[in-house]
Amino acid sequence: MKDRLRRFLNIDRRWLFLLLSVVMIWPIIHPSGIAGRTTQQSVKDFYDFIENLKENDFVILGVDYDPSIKPELQPQAVAALRHLFRRNVRVCILTFISGAPGLIEEIKQTVPQEAGKEYGKDYVVMAYNPNYMAAMTQMSIDFYKAYEKDAEGNTVKGMPVMKGINTYRDMAGVVEITGTGMLDAWVAYVGDKYNVPIIGGTTAISQLGYGPYLQNRQLLGLLGGMRGGSEYETLTGRKDKATSGIDALNLSHMLVIILILTSNIILLVLKEKN
Amino acid sequence: MLIIKKYIPLAIVMIVGLLTLATYYVPAKASQAYLSTLNQWEVIVSGFAFLLGLISLLMTHYKKIVRHEDGWGYSIFVFLGFLAVVIPGIISHGAQADNGTLTSLGWSFRYLYNPLASTMFAVLAFYIVSTAFRSFRIKSAQAFVLFIAAFILILGNVPAGQMLWDTLLGWTGCCSISDIIQWIMQVPSVAAKRGIMIGITIGAVVTSLKIIFGIERQYMGRD
Amino acid sequence: MENSLSVILGGWLSAGITIFLFSFLYKDNPLFKIAEHLYLGVGMGWWFIVLLYGTWIPKAYEPFMQGEYLLIIPVLLGISLVTQFIPRISWVSRYGFTFIMGYGAGLVLPLNLATDFMAQIGGTIKPFAAIASMSAGEFINYFLIAAGAVCVLTYFYFSVEHKGFIKKASNIGIYFLMIYFGASFGNTVMARFSLLYGRFDMLYDFSGARYAFATPVIILLTVCFFVYRHIADKKKAGITKTAKAE
Repeated sequence: MKDRLRRFLNIDRRWLFLLLSVVMIWPIIHPSGIAGRTTQQSVKDFYDFIENLKENDFVILGVDYDPSIKPELQPQAVAALRHLFRRNVRVCILTFISGAPGLIEEIKQTVPQEAGKEYGKDYVVMAYNPNYMAAMTQMSIDFYKAYEKDAEGNTVKGMPVMKGINTYRDMAGVVEITGTGMLDAWVAYVGDKYNVPIIGGTTAISQLGYGPYLQNRQLLGLLGGMRGGSEYETLTGRKDKATSGIDALNLSHMLVIILILTSNIILLVLKEKN
Repeated sequence: MLIIKKYIPLAIVMIVGLLTLATYYVPAKASQAYLSTLNQWEVIVSGFAFLLGLISLLMTHYKKIVRHEDGWGYSIFVFLGFLAVVIPGIISHGAQADNGTLTSLGWSFRYLYNPLASTMFAVLAFYIVSTAFRSFRIKSAQAFVLFIAAFILILGNVPAGQMLWDTLLGWTGCCSISDIIQWIMQVPSVAAKRGIMIGITIGAVVTSLKIIFGIERQYMGRD
Repeated sequence: MENSLSVILGGWLSAGITIFLFSFLYKDNPLFKIAEHLYLGVGMGWWFIVLLYGTWIPKAYEPFMQGEYLLIIPVLLGISLVTQFIPRISWVSRYGFTFIMGYGAGLVLPLNLATDFMAQIGGTIKPFAAIASMSAGEFINYFLIAAGAVCVLTYFYFSVEHKGFIKKASNIGIYFLMIYFGASFGNTVMARFSLLYGRFDMLYDFSGARYAFATPVIILLTVCFFVYRHIADKKKAGITKTAKAE
């Protein structure tokens, strides 16, 4: 018995990999359909912020992630853009991450068409900028010195979407979706310094780190990982990739708990027998 | 020569550092103009910093191929990968879509860069289960506290876990698992993160001052 | 470009790369190494193109050609960085580096001080200003935040020997940190599995007729490759054994 337990504890980890694969693939083929029962306060705050924007307000949407964390953040960005469009808010999409322009292009090919929005009139996409500090501070002085041309090489000044926009003073806020420290940068360089409202979407790993900013209202709302994304999708009334994603994670989460408990119980049994 | 090699660069870091620092506290037109110029310059300079990584990578793999070092054949794929994006990029002038249709660069992004980058990170998920089974040991009171926090988050983050909690403990009328998660995130986590944050900031401020005054100069390399 | 052939080709390439990278979980192998090296090149190539068309041409080359000759300064500072690779003149790179460091340090210092230091201390104390209108629960929570933050800071404070009251405070700090790290682990599980879900979801998409059944066919071929290698390795081991015996 003891030897068996010991052998089980030293099981080839490839069996665990296989087990994880099975519990991840199964719900993709057969979704459980169990609905989430709660909404976090920070998600509600994120939703309410966009809901309370006025028609024709101007908002920056930062899409600062690359394909490595796309499954967590792309659903958040898509849902936020849909919500902003529904509120008839003008959107300026920016990025400081080199891997993001391709993902922005993916969003651009679907979301604006669905909402019937026109490029240059309702939204605009700026070119990748390698230095966020420089761009963020520059936009407080003169937006057009930070971004003279959009991602397609068109001159930005004079576009209908930019009407009346010169600095942060003319904007209603920033929605930053990122897995990097870019949200911290928006809070420090823009939110705190120029009194610009900031809301964000981030990976589950980074989510806890924003607690102090949320408590201080330096950050007005936050979506954390797939769960945050799915709760936000539910609030906006359009369930999409985050909702199906969180459904697929049900079994794998249970697996991790079972594995931690099993190994510790085995250790306890072995210790007692000794 | 020492002046050109050492003192002028040290003067640059000090002057640029102090002037940039001053712009925060002096919102005059001149300081805004200075910051505006420097912002424009910084974007260009930091763009070139990328070349350091690029040249270093390509040189390493070029040497491997030329010297026929172990695994040199794989190094060819570094160049193939590089060209598989750069050539389409130049052909399509950096545009990923043209009238809603993917350009060759857009195609390379979607079907080459996208799966490569995302799978590299997705592999890490497998090591989570391995860690959970082999390394997550509850041996002390502190480890037990860590486990409880992890357990609540893992369970409460998914709908099935929330349902399970409600089914097993709903009758008690006690708080839901989401309330507990909310409390963890809003109270003990905030306390811990705030402590870490303040500590890191003190370190960062000291380092920044050391850089500006030329005390910290490791980044300059050896004399 | 987006015709059915390019979609099928893309699906096969995408599924192939994904499966090759996952094959490392079974064991290290040439398919994984090819994909891994490809990643390095593709990543750098992508970054290069994005910088070329997003920064160097529109922010340096074009304005310079239109008469903004002062831009030669950042360009030269940028180019100076590359002298790192030429040992004889590598000191020239100090000009570029000192510019970047001076600018970064000067900009970061006051902002960090305001956002992550002053605002955090303020955020810890400020709630107690409304102590009269606070419920007991709120008071306990704000007290825990304040006491916890102080205890965590004590834990990181190494200038004083940890004994007596300091030790007690620092020990309490550890418990706050443990809750934070435990919760972080819980969220890390969700984050990592989300990424894996993304890849599996994509492989599932590529297993359909639209992509000419890319996923199942490539999985099958990869398994065949491993079986073939296994047999070949066994044979090789057998031959070596016989040769040694002889």
